[in-house]
Amino acid sequence: MAEGKADIYIKMEQNTEVTKPDVYLKDIADIVCSEKNMAAKIKAIKIHKFKENGIQKVVISITKIITMIQEIYPDASVQNIGETDALLELVNVNKHKGFVQGMKIAFVAAVSFFGTSFTIMSYHNDIGISSIFEKFYIMVMGNPGNSAVLEISYSIGLSLGIIIFFNHIGGRRITKDPTPIEVEMRIYEEQVNKALIKTASREGKEES
Amino acid sequence: MLGKIFLGIISMSAGFFAAGGVFTVLITVGLVPRFAGKTHTGGKVMLYEDFVVAGTIVGCILSVFEKQCQFGSFLLEKGIVSEAVWTILGNILLLVFGLFAGMFIGCFALAIAEMLNTIPIFARRIGFRHGIGIAILSVALGKLVGSIIYFMQGVYRYGGR
Repeated sequence: MAEGKADIYIKMEQNTEVTKPDVYLKDIADIVCSEKNMAAKIKAIKIHKFKENGIQKVVISITKIITMIQEIYPDASVQNIGETDALLELVNVNKHKGFVQGMKIAFVAAVSFFGTSFTIMSYHNDIGISSIFEKFYIMVMGNPGNSAVLEISYSIGLSLGIIIFFNHIGGRRITKDPTPIEVEMRIYEEQVNKALIKTASREGKEES
Repeated sequence: MLGKIFLGIISMSAGFFAAGGVFTVLITVGLVPRFAGKTHTGGKVMLYEDFVVAGTIVGCILSVFEKQCQFGSFLLEKGIVSEAVWTILGNILLLVFGLFAGMFIGCFALAIAEMLNTIPIFARRIGFRHGIGIAILSVALGKLVGSIIYFMQGVYRYGGR
């Protein structure tokens, strides 16, 4: 086969965070090519350069990458097997560490703790849990009495229920599945990426 | 004795499903992922889940064992803290609880509204293009005013009747 005629396969990631302003193709995509030289050369294509004070987020279209590859190898055939648009973000390594980060974590943890305890209390208040327990106790035992057994086993059941639901105790997973919030988190990230890409292409800011 | 065992099994199952029900709603509106996403602390999701679990268990115990959990009067009666100190500490505790619980419920209410696509549908119907920020601010202020009226007028005492 003549030089530069091989098939090139590109698999772009939807979202990439880079720490250096110079971005090469290998940072945002996987490249497969039967010819080693070509692959190496393609991987080293500079795809974007962030300005020092400019926007730290950019959407790159696959068309831009194909154009750049064809400038080097006009005869090669390029196959896209990944995303058609990629979101590229320049992150400051030091930005997400230290005291502020700890404060943020403590903040979210506090909201989660007090919020859910309020939620479950208002739920119990709504359904009037003590009167349900009293009535049910009389229904089963025939006469009024101390319904502590109901209260205790209900609380144990509730705790077990959420622990099984969230699938971990402390940092230890019960099974290997991701936890519900992790699943939601990935869905949320994907939706945010898609929205950013759509916005960029609507405003014509996409690099293609 | 048999009756008590029966009661125990039934209410434990009840607890299981109450947990499942309450938390499916919490998870589907995706509150915690959003908090984590906004603060760029996605790696700490497990910790947040722990706090969700802990918060629920504490809330459950406080509301189910209401009579046994009167820790304020317990502390005062036993003389563990003096009344002056507890007035400050207790108020701080109430302030923290109210603030964070309010934030959570505020986000929760809007997240549900958003999940039902109220805002996008409404914005599209009336051809709304600019000023989404003002609209959101108005929603927040409306909630604040509504909440203040609710507590000032004691609506909770007679259920709005």
